[in-house]
Amino acid sequence: MKLRRILPVLVLNTLLISLPGQAQVYTSSDGSVEFISTAPLNEFKGTSNHLAGLINLNKNLVDFYIDMNTIDTGIEKRNRDMRTTYLNTDKYPFAEFTGELISSFDPDKMEPQRATVSGTFKLHGVEQQIEVDGILEPNGDGLQLDASWIVLLKDYDIDRPGILFYELAEEQEISISVLLMESETAEGS
Amino acid sequence: MLSSTSVFAQLERKRVVQNPDVIQTFMAPRNINFYTVESLSPGELHYSIMHTFGEVKSGPGSLWGIDNGANVRFSFEYGVTDKWSLGFGRSSLDRVYDFTSRVAILRQKSNNSIPVSLSLVPMMGINTLSLEFLDEPYKFSDRLNFSIAMPVARKFNDRLSLQLMPVYSHFNRIGPELSLISSTINDYFGAGMAGRYKFTRSSAVTFQFTQPFSEADNLDPNLAIGIDIETGGHVFQMFFSTTQALSESYILAGPNGNFFDREFRFGFNINRLFKIGK
Repeated sequence: MKLRRILPVLVLNTLLISLPGQAQVYTSSDGSVEFISTAPLNEFKGTSNHLAGLINLNKNLVDFYIDMNTIDTGIEKRNRDMRTTYLNTDKYPFAEFTGELISSFDPDKMEPQRATVSGTFKLHGVEQQIEVDGILEPNGDGLQLDASWIVLLKDYDIDRPGILFYELAEEQEISISVLLMESETAEGS
Repeated sequence: MLSSTSVFAQLERKRVVQNPDVIQTFMAPRNINFYTVESLSPGELHYSIMHTFGEVKSGPGSLWGIDNGANVRFSFEYGVTDKWSLGFGRSSLDRVYDFTSRVAILRQKSNNSIPVSLSLVPMMGINTLSLEFLDEPYKFSDRLNFSIAMPVARKFNDRLSLQLMPVYSHFNRIGPELSLISSTINDYFGAGMAGRYKFTRSSAVTFQFTQPFSEADNLDPNLAIGIDIETGGHVFQMFFSTTQALSESYILAGPNGNFFDREFRFGFNINRLFKIGK
């Protein structure tokens, strides 16, 4: 009888003690970002493999940023135009998102799970509240995240080229794909 | 591993490239007629076609010089590395074929640890005029001219860039058969200055000025002012210049009018950048 009474308490204690020890913080510095600009006569994409990200399940914190100077559209001249004339990367070097996971997520369920985050996306110095749907999947010691959303350039005070020969669409489709690994510095909290 | 001050808070924002080079000092590899420090990327091909016409003061009968004395230069320049490019061009003035190398020695840094960009631009020209009318034989080496320019430029802000450029030119053989101001000296020293001021995101006013230092009669400064219009892959440059010449050696050694006596001519360049290969 005593054992029956004590066992649940022991199990609960074990869980409470072990939970903070489990890595609930995942990070990456080499995720990929892609944007696609689809205009009537011209489609091009820009890519970078320098997406830095953090998902802290304990704190319910989702934080990502990309150095905009690392985005490559495949044509150096277009990269230079994009950096200096339209995105002003000297002044606004990062695009960044900070928010929280607002959908349920079970890190022990080893299958793709729909995930929704809500927070602040900052681009070209302008902040907007956004919600983004994606797929989050436990993957070994990490989490694989894939998500995409639409950015309207006017929402971020980014003027579109007026007389450029390459057209830039008002809507830019942004996609990210990143494998975040358990952070070695994470101690859980 | 990802660097962050604490994984419990937001990530610390760090630039992938610390202290990047200053880019877009000029809109194109050339500013009016001068080479600039604006180098090409590997695999990038710059094609330009440059024109000057007759003097504006010739009046409306020749459409202010458009009908007269056109000099046309086309050129290709290919970025071999991000600091070195090779070029080839041809000017109708004296039918000169030229070969150029452009090397970026210094690049201005965004934190000003290097305050200027500096390049070296050696060029060799081959005059291919038919000179059979001359009494004396004209050897191949007689047809060669050489120049070296050292553009030093600084982008002061998003609008203003200035460039200083010492230039030296040498003509193996001189004579009245060439479009040069003097038939007495082979070597020309001078200093060029160029600049641009962007007044909109894609438009800029530009200028170039060359002061010759060599001793020769009627060796006058060159002055040109213009407008650049950036259209993505193209940069259109329209200008008024006191010389018909379109290359550094001939700008320095060739005849120049007096800008303030309306002895200038209309010219325009079309610059186009292509990406070759992946």
